[in-house]
Amino acid sequence: MIPRIIKDLFKIKKLDISLGIFLGLMLLSLLGSIIYPVDPTSVVGPPERPPSSAYPLGTDNRGRDVLAQLIGGIKNSLYIGVIAALISLGIGVIIGAISGYKGGLTDSSLMLMTDVVLVLPSILIMMLIAAYLKERNPIFVSIIIGVTSWPWVARAVRAQMMSLKAREFVYMSRIAGLRDIKIIIEDLLPNMASYIFMAFVLLMSGAMIAEAGLSMIGLGVTKGISLGIILYWAQLFESVRRGLWWWFVPPGACLVALASSLLLMSTALDEYFSPRLKGG
Amino acid sequence: MNPFIRFITRRLAFLLMTFFAFLLIIFALPRAIPGNPLASLLYQIIQQAQSNPDLVKAVYKKLLEEFGMDKPVHIQLIEFLGRLGGGDLGTSIAFYPRKVADLVFSYLPWSLGLLIPATLTSWVLGNLLGALAAYKRKTLTDNFLLTAFLTLSQTPYYWLAMILLYAFAVSFKFFPLNGAYSPGKTPTLSIPFILDMLHHYVLPFFSIIIGAMGGWAIGMRVMVIYELGSDYVSYVDSLGLPDRKILQYVFKNSMLPQITGLAINLGTILGGALITELVFSYPGTGFLIFRALSTLDYPLIQGTFVLIISTLLLANFIVDLIYAFIDPRIKTGYVGE
Repeated sequence: MIPRIIKDLFKIKKLDISLGIFLGLMLLSLLGSIIYPVDPTSVVGPPERPPSSAYPLGTDNRGRDVLAQLIGGIKNSLYIGVIAALISLGIGVIIGAISGYKGGLTDSSLMLMTDVVLVLPSILIMMLIAAYLKERNPIFVSIIIGVTSWPWVARAVRAQMMSLKAREFVYMSRIAGLRDIKIIIEDLLPNMASYIFMAFVLLMSGAMIAEAGLSMIGLGVTKGISLGIILYWAQLFESVRRGLWWWFVPPGACLVALASSLLLMSTALDEYFSPRLKGG
Repeated sequence: MNPFIRFITRRLAFLLMTFFAFLLIIFALPRAIPGNPLASLLYQIIQQAQSNPDLVKAVYKKLLEEFGMDKPVHIQLIEFLGRLGGGDLGTSIAFYPRKVADLVFSYLPWSLGLLIPATLTSWVLGNLLGALAAYKRKTLTDNFLLTAFLTLSQTPYYWLAMILLYAFAVSFKFFPLNGAYSPGKTPTLSIPFILDMLHHYVLPFFSIIIGAMGGWAIGMRVMVIYELGSDYVSYVDSLGLPDRKILQYVFKNSMLPQITGLAINLGTILGGALITELVFSYPGTGFLIFRALSTLDYPLIQGTFVLIISTLLLANFIVDLIYAFIDPRIKTGYVGE
């Protein structure tokens, strides 16, 4: 059964392409520092050099290597994306599952809270929190993004939960006297695995974009590098006006490639798993 | 009680609660974070007192008064809410002695002038292209459009802005590099000034249109595909209704969520196109917020955020009301007839 699903999945062209782009960039970030061992933060050559054989993507205003920055930046952006997505997913799934399974007053109060967070624009809340923190490491930035972007996951998980809990196998477990928490974890959540994976993918692309946005207004990580931080420096030192395209084009292109390959992945899975989108 | 009034009261209660929750966040954040950022800001201001003692003293006094740092927390909260209730959003530090509300209103016209036309245009274009892709689904056109939409929806406006700026203002000098009008000119309603303004307007306008279009199109495409698969479409199709007529119905039925999205989007307009304005040095509210954030002008940050959230919540509330009026399903669901 499982091998057939995987075989089927690999037949989807959209999925293959998106997975290829995503894994390619991920490998670049993981193996890049071994193949191309240049320190992204130290000055290695003359400033503002265009791409050449010595500096494949040129150097920035202080003579730091842009390719080395890019390798480090992708790694940290992915890291922030994964951690933030895990945090949102954790909060969203817990609140959604409890809310959908329990119903009643628990449901109303949890959903009220979710609606409140949903209505407040997360980017503003992120900016507000970040502005008050003097030092921000990647974990902090991930937490800021994670705790503000979970509401839609909670709502979606709740809706799935409500339709699933009326199925027979859940009644069976209840008759067998299993505890609620056990039913949720062992019976219900596995049934939503594909859905939860899609949510994770979307959260991750959203988090990477959010990280870049925070960085661009000077509220990103204060130590280390990320795709957003490279763009921030490029913007701060007028790379566009001075025609240093190799400084601002690659980080943005990598960000767009990572985020859209994730979105394409979830779109492909969505079409595969929901018959109405798939059918003719 | 009249069910409609009950519905409005419930939505209104939610609106007020959300607003209060947001005010609590604004109030609590600086006070909850270790090392109290406000206290360190005050300390910095005292340290600068040698450079311009009178001004610094005035700023210090004003800050102490507005944040009430020397009083117990519950008194601070009551005073904070009281001032907001009286319509006082506080005084800026960086632009001292200008009031926050006054500052926002002088930057706002540029943001509105840029964002309202750009948002509406991208919304219309996105919906049309999204519907087209759905209609042509399973063809090359759809595949191409969908890929383009997906990529565009994940492209930050500001990066697009940088690319456009590099292409059309640096490489080819078709358009100016920054600002909303040429330096040295004063805004007037004369023809030369308006032409100059439009010349500065083109690149920011297009970067927002292109960047926003993808998201609208994706939403519309999925909605139309769902509608095309619904029973009523197969029914009227079997009756032999022409395709164009069917599409008209489908388009109309798919519009509702898009209208909500548009209204909510327009609700956030007060915040300007934050980073895009930054890239173009466009003097809108986004630029103002950036100044506030980068100088840690806390009163200005709080004041602008309170304004943005207020309009956003109001937009949400209005959408709820309109929805209840036009969608019979929601009308019966929530209002109960």
